[in-house]
Amino acid sequence: MKRQKRFEELEKRPIHLDGFVKEWPEEGFIAMMGPNDPKPSIKIENGVVTELDGKKRADFDLIDLYIAKYGINLDRAEEVIQMDSVKIANMLCDPNVSRQEVIDVTTACTPAKLEEIISKLNFAEMIMAAQKMRPRRTPATQGHVTNIRDNPAQIAADAADAALRGFPEEETTTAIARYAPLNAIAITTGAQSARPGVLTQCSVEEAAELSLGMRGFTAYAETISVYGTDPVFTDGDDTPWSKGFLASCYASRGLKMRFTSGSGSEVMMGYAEGKSMLYLECRCILITKASGVQGLQNGGVSCIGIPGAVPSGIRSVLGENLVCMMVDLECASANDQAFSHSDMRRTERMMGQFIAGTDYISSGYSTTPNYDNVFAGSNVDAHDYDDYYVWERDLAVNGGLHPVQEDDIIKARNYAAKAVQAVFEDLGLPAIKDEEVEAATYADTSKDMPDRDMVADMKGAQDILDRGITGVDIVKALNNHGFTDVATAYLNLLRQRLAGDFLQTSAIFDENWNVISAINNANDYKGPGTGYRLWEDKEEWDRIKDLPFAVDGKNAKL
Amino acid sequence: MAEMDELVKKIMAQMQQQNDAPTTQSTTASAPTTAPTKELDASDYPLFSKHPELIKSPSGKGLDEITLDDVMKDNVKADDLRITKETLQYQGQIAKNAGRPAIQKNFARAAELTAIPDEKILAMYGALRPYRSSKQDLEDIAKELETKYNAPICAAWFREAATNYESRKKLKGDN
Repeated sequence: MKRQKRFEELEKRPIHLDGFVKEWPEEGFIAMMGPNDPKPSIKIENGVVTELDGKKRADFDLIDLYIAKYGINLDRAEEVIQMDSVKIANMLCDPNVSRQEVIDVTTACTPAKLEEIISKLNFAEMIMAAQKMRPRRTPATQGHVTNIRDNPAQIAADAADAALRGFPEEETTTAIARYAPLNAIAITTGAQSARPGVLTQCSVEEAAELSLGMRGFTAYAETISVYGTDPVFTDGDDTPWSKGFLASCYASRGLKMRFTSGSGSEVMMGYAEGKSMLYLECRCILITKASGVQGLQNGGVSCIGIPGAVPSGIRSVLGENLVCMMVDLECASANDQAFSHSDMRRTERMMGQFIAGTDYISSGYSTTPNYDNVFAGSNVDAHDYDDYYVWERDLAVNGGLHPVQEDDIIKARNYAAKAVQAVFEDLGLPAIKDEEVEAATYADTSKDMPDRDMVADMKGAQDILDRGITGVDIVKALNNHGFTDVATAYLNLLRQRLAGDFLQTSAIFDENWNVISAINNANDYKGPGTGYRLWEDKEEWDRIKDLPFAVDGKNAKL
Repeated sequence: MAEMDELVKKIMAQMQQQNDAPTTQSTTASAPTTAPTKELDASDYPLFSKHPELIKSPSGKGLDEITLDDVMKDNVKADDLRITKETLQYQGQIAKNAGRPAIQKNFARAAELTAIPDEKILAMYGALRPYRSSKQDLEDIAKELETKYNAPICAAWFREAATNYESRKKLKGDN
């Protein structure tokens, strides 16, 4: 065939590098309302659920048993299952129906009922609903802080940099697993040095992650994965009961935690059992609710390529965030994985969460260029900051970040790198040289950093664990080297564990350690004139308005 | 993550040694002299600013006894920076009264677990993972939770898991 030139040009566009597949329900390649999804149903006899979404109790797998016992408000379940799903969908986006009225209904739903309600909403209605249903009034976002060489000075500097830009939560992980304690110490020290109150985590294997928290190197955890089918849950090396117990382990040490799930994980792991992604995700959400965990990271997450490949997939992903909010869970709404080659499409991907506002719009936003993102790259990265500020400014939307001055960032990066240098010296870890501090101050990526002796670092990391070093030792180390303000901030983070206020739903801290959660900052959206409005949050709106590269007419030489 | 698995194994091994030694773990909480007379709710939140008098370390220290100065004088140990059973119960009441009873249940389990050493609860978590334990293993942990740690809610959790693992084939040898 003789090629039509416009078609040839279109094929060169980045969107053609993305993967798209046609619906294939048998293998789970369907966003929602698949032909094999069960119809909503529930039967309760003597307080025990004997039928759930068309399945008899004898056929329940562990997930069904768990959800049936702990995940659904049975007092209203039989009434709610009879309600018209269109009516409930209307309640969701009708500003005259309060969040609490909706919650009373949606916490009594089965997984299939939740899926059916979502299927009645178009994308704009989902945004309307999410704006009302997110638990915390003030939206926020979370950042990834990693680099592919696990350089501790750079982690600390990037953590400080991100803290100034407004991230109240920061997450690191490792390129090499043995670095975990060093990366955890570096991110926490760096974040506290720039903006006290930032919560930090280090994503590693479940038991190891808990151990880092217990030692006082991190403040919360999020990579506690749950799945929507029994074989995948087992492959993930857990059961609902082990995950529920793990949740209690975290709380018992005063550590915040949320679970993680997301569309596409069951397809990826080969056991979708012929069900749609949204149906399976609704099961994950109710497992989380059943565990008494305060929140969930969901919305495709690292498997976003799978829902992203099928029709209505990105709509369904906003739908699963919304279900999370409908059962009154904190929602960290993904947008955290590079999945599209097209800048237009990755913008489209996050518009729903961005416009509605969620507890964490991204979970997380890469605070380094994606080159250094050890989570395989995020949907948005450090080189997108200025674009992101303009989105916020253009639309008057609080996306959780604000512009910063270059000199403030240079100061903060330098101070953070020096603070972690002091901690390393005090704890007898391989020295962070002055040239590394200098490099970290001005670095964009780890290409700008000098080499470290990685073998020595790994030995040092093991040594920290063997010696039983804790957060208290880090506080002392900081103070011993004159970083009294950072020592105080680090200690305050540890003291907050005693109070447990940040274990409540959607909790973050401001720079004065005031907790901001769904308890004392509950979403009160009820239509125009209510809820969070950026221009009413004057200080933040001023920061966003004050774009450093905007022309100031008063100073312009005309 | 193989390295981290090794690390956990190592911690487990250390835990085993500690278990062989007589237990000295003390988690007796502060005297409940300041216990509130009614259930707490959103109006009592945050505890840190509204009820600092209720917040104690496991050894009974108040927040005003956990300052940077106290840390530098070695008066504060890592164990002083752990939440207590009582505080978790207060936060549970706040969660329930804000319409989140499931969180209160989680905190009730957690309150019991405050009495259990780090290594030990990591091992208990490991035992609940699929194909790790026989029904008897889980029952033994349930007994230990009840008798040694006064943790009946968690004991029931293990027994419920044991029953379900048996019928749904998640016990040791079922794979």
